[in-house]
Amino acid sequence: MGSDIPKVQKVIAIMWPSFLIAGVATILFFTAFDPVDFLVTTPFADMSRMGAYTVGFFLFWLLTTASSMLTCYFQRPCVFKGQQNNGNSISGHTA
Amino acid sequence: MTENTPDNSRQQSGDDIQPKLYAQCGKLYPRQVQGFFARLRVIGVLALLGLYYLVPWFSWGDRQAVLFDLPARKFYIFGLTFWPQDFIYLAFLLIIAALALFFFTTLAGRLWCGYACPQTVWTEVFLWIENLVEGDRSKQMKLDKAPMSWRKFYLKTSKHTLWVLFSLFTGFVFVGYFTPIYELWESTLAWTLGPWEAFWIFFYGLATYGNAGWLREKVCIYMCPYARFQSVMFDDDTLVIAYDEDRGDPRGSRKRNIDLKQAGLGDCINCTLCVQVCPTGIDIRDGLQYECIGCAACIDVCDDVMEKMNYEKGLICYTTENARQNKKEKILRLRVIVYAVVMFSMIAGLVYSISQRIPLELDIIRDRNALYRETDEGLVENVYTLKLINMDEVQHEYNLSATGIEGMELILNEKEIILKPGEIVSLVLQVRVDPVNLKNVSTGINFSLESKINPEIKTQRIGKFIGPVIK
Ligand code: SF4
Ligand code: SF4
Repeated sequence: MGSDIPKVQKVIAIMWPSFLIAGVATILFFTAFDPVDFLVTTPFADMSRMGAYTVGFFLFWLLTTASSMLTCYFQRPCVFKGQQNNGNSISGHTA
Repeated sequence: MTENTPDNSRQQSGDDIQPKLYAQCGKLYPRQVQGFFARLRVIGVLALLGLYYLVPWFSWGDRQAVLFDLPARKFYIFGLTFWPQDFIYLAFLLIIAALALFFFTTLAGRLWCGYACPQTVWTEVFLWIENLVEGDRSKQMKLDKAPMSWRKFYLKTSKHTLWVLFSLFTGFVFVGYFTPIYELWESTLAWTLGPWEAFWIFFYGLATYGNAGWLREKVCIYMCPYARFQSVMFDDDTLVIAYDEDRGDPRGSRKRNIDLKQAGLGDCINCTLCVQVCPTGIDIRDGLQYECIGCAACIDVCDDVMEKMNYEKGLICYTTENARQNKKEKILRLRVIVYAVVMFSMIAGLVYSISQRIPLELDIIRDRNALYRETDEGLVENVYTLKLINMDEVQHEYNLSATGIEGMELILNEKEIILKPGEIVSLVLQVRVDPVNLKNVSTGINFSLESKINPEIKTQRIGKFIGPVIK
């Protein structure tokens, strides 16, 4: 697999779903927790809510991107170098 | 239009009309269309963008009419104010939107994509700008092929400048939904934007510029979740855009008014205009395709051709699978009815529950440090923190009462509980009870809070009272 999928699609398949889920996670998280409440005891006590939302969103995006990347990574065929892939004759190093 | 009209740019561009090439990221040059559906889309674009760009500037009383005030954690929508506690309404709204999408998709296919999707709408505007600066399709292709020159540099720079300005304004308006837009405008002019506001204006602007200027049909093909699953909602009675093969084939160019039977030709003159107008670069004559966003540009352009050829219109048209196979069409299918019933009952439920919403919130938290305390008079005391939110638009004074244990005594530091509109207040409440009245270690007490000016505004919460039981 892999090579017949356009590069844009690969990038999009990682960045975009993680973006959407990060958005949902941000909304849920900040609906339940007010950043002003839980930041007071941290060094970021001065951060505005807007700033906390923004940072929160990008942290979520980072996490979800990592997850999407792992998914893509594990989607590669499971073969050793030099081994023939079952029937598909895709050779070892799967790009 | 006669046989010598095929657009010559098509010959130049050769295979850019081959359906497979868009996957290799070749740039598409959709030709501008005129016609009934194009007018519908323009109306759609103007109405939706008009709403988008204008709504945040309206006022309601002394505040912005529609403001999702994230910093203050309040959403204002005209006369209504929503709080994080009202999250359920947002969930409701999203479900209704999804159902509406199912409903319209089942009935009329990708209506959303062709006329209302932000991607279509903004791309349309970007295409207008592109046409304004670079000229029509063939001029654009020629310009892109030409080596860099002053003229090309000038045209490209102007186009991108206009795109960027438009995108930034779009980003500005977007942020204007979340922070008061007039103040935002002033601080933009004065160059004193807060870092986060500035960041989001650029971020949203960049997204607009990238999606509508560069990615375009790739968004529909690769990014749009709806495009992927919409086919599930299709059935044989869903409106789709299709080319009438029986009528059109065999295709071929011809002189006007020749006898088609004799020439052995169908109605399609093979002018390929339908391919040139297609924003996703497909050939509708190959049949129904996943990439088709149902924009109807090919209908408009082909109807034009048919008119000029004196043929009947509708070689490409809105139709259904059943109609094409001359089967009976049915508009009210079970799934359409089910979607409609569920959707309308949810809308009714949402409207009802919003109208019945009590704009008062009470939270009761027991003091965590001590289970209970015995006073000098031998009473048992529990301490609570009450969190009150007046979610109404007017000031209220409230009465606090409690039931559950005989002879309860409520002690507040404040003489009266008055909350301004939108105010949040924490109060410390001591409850004292004679231990003889305690039957259990833990007893539920029912606190109720009621507005003095409007007894309908009241709410109740259960709290726990803990104390020793005297046998
Ligand atoms: S279907 Fe219509 S627009 Fe397309 S090539 Fe045939 S005649 Fe031209
Ligand atoms: S095939 Fe026709 S309706 Fe479908 S996207 Fe292309 S121009 Fe629009």
